[in-house]
Formats: sequence, structure tokens, C-alpha cells
Amino acid sequence: MEGTGRSAGTAAQAWDELFALSRDETGERQMMERLLDLWRREHGVEAAGLYLERGGALQQETSAGDGLPDLIEGGFLADGLGSLDFPGGRLLFSPAGAVDLRRAADTVSNDPLTLLLASALKSSRLKQDLKEQQFQVNYRVVELEALYDVGLAVASTLDLDRLSEEILLRAVSLLDARRGALYILEDGRYRLDRTFGGEAAPWFAGADPELRRFLTGGGEAPAHLLPGARYLLSVPIEVESGPRGLIAVGDKESRRGVGPFLTSDRRTLSLFANQAALALENARLHLQALEKERLEREMHLAAEIQHQILPKGAPAVPGYELTGWYRPARQVGGDYYDLFRREDGRVGLVVGDVSGKGMPAALMVSTLHSALRLLLDQIGFGPEMLERLNRHIGESSASNKFITMMLAELNPATGVLHYMNAGHNPAVLLRANGEVEELKAGGVPLGLLPTARFQSRAVTMEPGDLLCIYSDGITEASNPEDEEFGMGGLIDLLRAQRDRPLAELIEAIPRAVGEFSQGLPQGDDQTLVLLRRV
Amino acid sequence: MTESLNITVDRREGLAVIYTEGYINNQGGEEIAKAAYKLLDEGYKILLLNLAGTKIVNSIGISILIEIIEKMIEIEGKLGFCCLTPTIEKTFHIMGLAQYAPIFKDEEAAVSQMRA
Repeated sequence: MEGTGRSAGTAAQAWDELFALSRDETGERQMMERLLDLWRREHGVEAAGLYLERGGALQQETSAGDGLPDLIEGGFLADGLGSLDFPGGRLLFSPAGAVDLRRAADTVSNDPLTLLLASALKSSRLKQDLKEQQFQVNYRVVELEALYDVGLAVASTLDLDRLSEEILLRAVSLLDARRGALYILEDGRYRLDRTFGGEAAPWFAGADPELRRFLTGGGEAPAHLLPGARYLLSVPIEVESGPRGLIAVGDKESRRGVGPFLTSDRRTLSLFANQAALALENARLHLQALEKERLEREMHLAAEIQHQILPKGAPAVPGYELTGWYRPARQVGGDYYDLFRREDGRVGLVVGDVSGKGMPAALMVSTLHSALRLLLDQIGFGPEMLERLNRHIGESSASNKFITMMLAELNPATGVLHYMNAGHNPAVLLRANGEVEELKAGGVPLGLLPTARFQSRAVTMEPGDLLCIYSDGITEASNPEDEEFGMGGLIDLLRAQRDRPLAELIEAIPRAVGEFSQGLPQGDDQTLVLLRRV
Repeated sequence: MTESLNITVDRREGLAVIYTEGYINNQGGEEIAKAAYKLLDEGYKILLLNLAGTKIVNSIGISILIEIIEKMIEIEGKLGFCCLTPTIEKTFHIMGLAQYAPIFKDEEAAVSQMRA
């Protein structure tokens, strides 16, 4: 460990080299390496290394000779290693042969080369610190940019799915987390929208006390929030009117593993969540508006279809009065009626009620209308026709959809009215003498049972007889006392006003129903068909 | 289960392309560094990192990428990036990576320009 007595020529050459390196900005590292190698040879040690202190460990900056570790954790030096403390680091060396390490360290500590090495390490340390600080400053800019970008997304990204993904990915990366999850508040509970890096609880009750405490930073994380994560941070996503969801991140990364999140991380995530809340709310409202617009378009189209299907007027039938009336509860209803004269002079009367509303109901009405007309032409009125229609409706509609229908066919010459009632409200035949017959016979609603059988019955309409076919929107209309207008109410009204022209009677019935309801909104579609033999 | 990074390497004439798929975090960054240093040992001095399969990178991953860039500068090699998401590209610009490692829109352009 004593001086090796290098030749003056070699030393001068080494100093010249070091001087040249010191004047070159990019040669700083090489100078440190060269200095260390010179120091190693000067002091006759096998290996020497310069180490910087980083987070409680010693990390090798450079070494000369073999056998020194890259990283020393916990400050435990291997036997046989000499050590000199430098500001912010250490010089470690392994002497050649067995020597007194303490004495060896004392020997080299006052050497000018050692002082130069200490200075080089200090310079390297400062450079590292500066680089680290610059990195941190740049990363703060990345955070600010992320906040700004999510703010911009308020105005530009209306795709809720893409926005949610962007928000979660940015939150995870900004917080250096390994994992994350995004929850959206729906119907009083937080529903897992998406997760990153692992599983998460599928939902939480909105009022979950454990979650609430955790969101405000006052308690432990619910165990199943991000199962397996050791460290968790979560903040609510809130708009002015209240919470909309939450972001959770797990396991903050460092170069040496994972650790807890810092107080500043909560602040960053909260700021980010505020921006995310605005973006998500904007996208949600946009989606709602689109959906509303789509529904309105659909309803408008459905109303058009229905308008085209409904008869423009009643056919003229000598010896009879015939009229129909229809008022949907909403823009598009599920009721249907038709009045038509067949080629042989018979008159068809139909009132149907399709389950459901809107476009699906309108499409079903359309199917019923065309299939009924076609089958009547092909097979003629009767059970077989209705059975085929039943199968067709069953095959072309959803399993829970059905149609109730009253179908009648009048021979004007004889007054014979054949009818089939497929689960519809009984039609009322008010005889001239005041007696009432309910026309119920037929079968079950269409579309429910593919093998259903139907039957046809006949009555004869005599002069003065009045037939009323209606939908349940008339008889089930209720008043504020929750009483229904009922079939009784309808029959009483028909009896009281039977002598009025049908054009007046068909207006009087819904007016009476409206008066009975005392201003309550119409709850269901209302349809009426009236036929009187004069 | 965590989001791991999958790496594939395509060795070509005088250049190697490293394809990443997944999160460039501590683990992901280390995987890239391992692959890059292995390629340097094999004699490749031009490396292209194709990040088409990566949507997310964190600060630890960036610091490892900076170390790889420093290593490339030290050996007078070349490192480039291609197929970055707009967010990652912006991050690389802010963090100064783009100053020392060029960013290309697509792999074809990257390969032809890095070979030049």
C-alpha cells in the first residue's frame, strides 16, 4: 500500500491526459475513470470504485480493476474492503494482500490524487442531483400537461369509452402506480368501469362507510378495492351536483419496488379527478343528448309508420254506419285498428293491442297489418287464418311480445257478423232492445303459443243494433280515486247515447272518459270502432 | 397480477428493432434495458424502439429509457423511437428524450433514416 514510485515520465503523461480531459466538456466521466485507475496503480490496490449514496444504498459510479459490487445495500461492506468517506459517497478499494485496512485508509486519505477523486465524485454527485431535479421539474410539466389535456378533452372527446380509458391510464402513469381502477356512480352504487394492471371489486354501495372514509383520506382502503395491492390511493370524481365516480390507484413504484403514495400524490390525483369529472360529465350529457335524439327520430319514424297503416276513413257500407277512432297515449302507441271492404263486399273490422310501445310496437303493428291482409286474401276469415297469423306473429317477434285482437267480418246483406277474439277485451253488442252481448269467443293472445287453437262465432246484427269494439285504454282509464271507467261505464254510455249519429257518439265516448279521469294524463292508447245497422 | 411488458426483438442488417407491448414502468423499463444491453453486447449500435403496443409509460420507465439513451451516447450508438401514441410522444418531448433520440411516425421511416 505504499507509494509505487512511478516514473516521472509516466506521471507527466497521465497529468497531461487528465488536463486534456478536464478541458473537454464530454470528458468528465473519462477523467474520473482515468483518475481512479491512476489512483489504483499509484496505491497498488487490486480494485477501486467510486460510489454515490442513493436512498440508503451505495451505487457504483465507476471502478478500476475487478471484483467490486455494483450496489451495496444497508452499508454492509464485504471483508477485506477498505473505505474512505467522501461527501455524498465513498471510495472503496481492495488492497493487494492482507493489510491493516484502517491504516491503509489513513495512508491514502491525504494523497492529492485522493482529494482529486473526492472532488470528481462531488462534481458527479452535483451533476446527478441537477439531473434528478431537472427530471422532476420536467415531470411536473408532464403532470400539468395531463391536467390541461384532460381539460381539453372536455371540449373535444365525447366518446365516453375512450375518455374513460384515457383518464385511467393517465392517472396510473402520473402517480407512478402499478395498478388502477375507474368507477362510475350509477343508480346509487359505484360500478367498475375499467381496471388496469389487475382485478378490482365490481361495485361498491354509494354509501359504503368504509369507502367514504377512505376517499376523504381518513381510513383504511376497503380490502377488495384492488385485491393484492399493498398501497392504495383513491379520490372521488365530483361535479358541482355531486359525485360521479372515483379513481383508485395502487402500489406507487420506485426503482427499488413499490411503496406508499405521498400527500402530494393525493393532491395531484384530486386535481386530475376534478378535470376528469368535467370531461366525463360532458361526454355523459352528450351521450344522453344523442340517445334522446335517436329516440325522438325513432318515435317520429314509428309514428309515420303507424299513420300510414291506420285507415284514412271508414268504407261506406249501405245500410250501416261505421266509424273508427284512435288516440295514442304517447307519440307512438301499440293499438291498431283497421276497417276495410273485401272484394266480395264483406267488411272487415279489426282492433288490436300490441304489448310494448315505441318502435318495437310500431314494427309489430306493421307485421300484423300486412300479414292479416295477406292471410285474409289467401285463406279467408276463420280459425285457420288466425292460427297461421298466430304462428307468424310468434316467429317474428320477441318471446315476451304478444297481440290481443278482436277481428270481425260482416256480411252487409245478411247482417251476419263472424268474429274471433284473441285475448282482447270483449266487444259490446248493444241490441236494439237494450240487451248487451259480450263477444268473447276466440282464443289466447297472438304470439304466445305457437300451437294455440282459435274458434269463430257468429251473431246477426239486426236494425238498431250497435257494435262497439274498443281497447283497454277506454275501460281501464282511471280517476284520481284509482277507479276505472270500466266496461260498465262504457255500456251505460252507449245505452244513454245510442241514438246519436256515430260521428258524434265516437267523440262523446273519449270525452266522457276524459271527464271521468278528471285531468289525469291518458295512461294508455285508446281505440274505438263503432258499427250500427240502420 | 400486474400489467407486464412483452418484448420481441427483430435483428436486421446493422440494426435491431425492439417491439414493446404493455406498460413501460419499472419492470417494463428494466426489460427494455436488458434487451437493449444484450443487443449492444451482440454488436448492434443502432436500436429502434417500436412502441406501437404501448399506451402507458410512467416516470420510472422514462428514467430507465434515459439511461439507455445515455449508454447509447457513450458508445456512440443511435437510439430512436417510433409508433408512439400522441400522449407518449408529448411526454418524451417534455422529458427531453426527443432531444437525444429521434421520434419517427412509423417504422419504415425510422429504419431508413437511422440507417442513413
